[in-house]
Amino acid sequence: MFVEVAKMSEIAKGGMKAVEVNGRWIVLCNDNGRIYAIERRCGHMSAPLDMGTLNGYILTCPMHHSQFDITSGEALSEPVPRDFGDEVPPKNMGIYLQNIAMLMSHIKTCDIKTYPVKVEGDSIKVDLELKDCDRLI
Amino acid sequence: MNVESRKKALRYQFEKVVDPLGYKFSPDEELVDFLLEQEVFLERKHGIPYCPCQGLPKDREGRMKLVCPCIPFHREQFDYMKCCWCLLYVHKDVTDTSGLRQIPLSEIPAAGLKRG
Repeated sequence: MFVEVAKMSEIAKGGMKAVEVNGRWIVLCNDNGRIYAIERRCGHMSAPLDMGTLNGYILTCPMHHSQFDITSGEALSEPVPRDFGDEVPPKNMGIYLQNIAMLMSHIKTCDIKTYPVKVEGDSIKVDLELKDCDRLI
Repeated sequence: MNVESRKKALRYQFEKVVDPLGYKFSPDEELVDFLLEQEVFLERKHGIPYCPCQGLPKDREGRMKLVCPCIPFHREQFDYMKCCWCLLYVHKDVTDTSGLRQIPLSEIPAAGLKRG
């Protein structure tokens, strides 16, 4: 069942807006006038995707810069490894960072959920009741 | 990750960068496809889509100059060649790539004068 979640006038072209509907957070993305709805949590480490950047149909996560296709929810890239340049970090910090990097290398970037969207006049409606897509873990 | 989807995404993102620089993707589609695929593999390995045609230096500053599209860091040379080192990007006015070739910086007159 489609429910109204926002108004078209609330999301500029190229912009995003996070909304909570029945306890579930989703992000509405405006790709040049076309609205797509995706789950808010990144498929890598659950960062809020509305704080990332939208470049056409490609959404980049603000945390580790994994990219997603907002039209299908497909994960387009793995996170970008942190580059500290040629500077050697202090020993303790280096060990900590190595540990984090080792753990992160085991985290798979999953596709994210997408939801059907209908625009009626100024009203954006989303169907959140569609199958609870299985997350590929 | 799907290689084809990533190639499409890289192409979409790079196009927006090279267009204002006066470049476009090479009309040789087969070559473009091959080079983008190599970049996808490099991105998987290093996390960054480096230029697939040049060796990666050890220093970070050098490596950053080889992140595709690397046109801004080699502008003089590529403008003279009318294409980038890989021939992935060509000047917008290029329709036939057969006459294009790689020219080392040392053979570019203007660059030589500047270094003079």
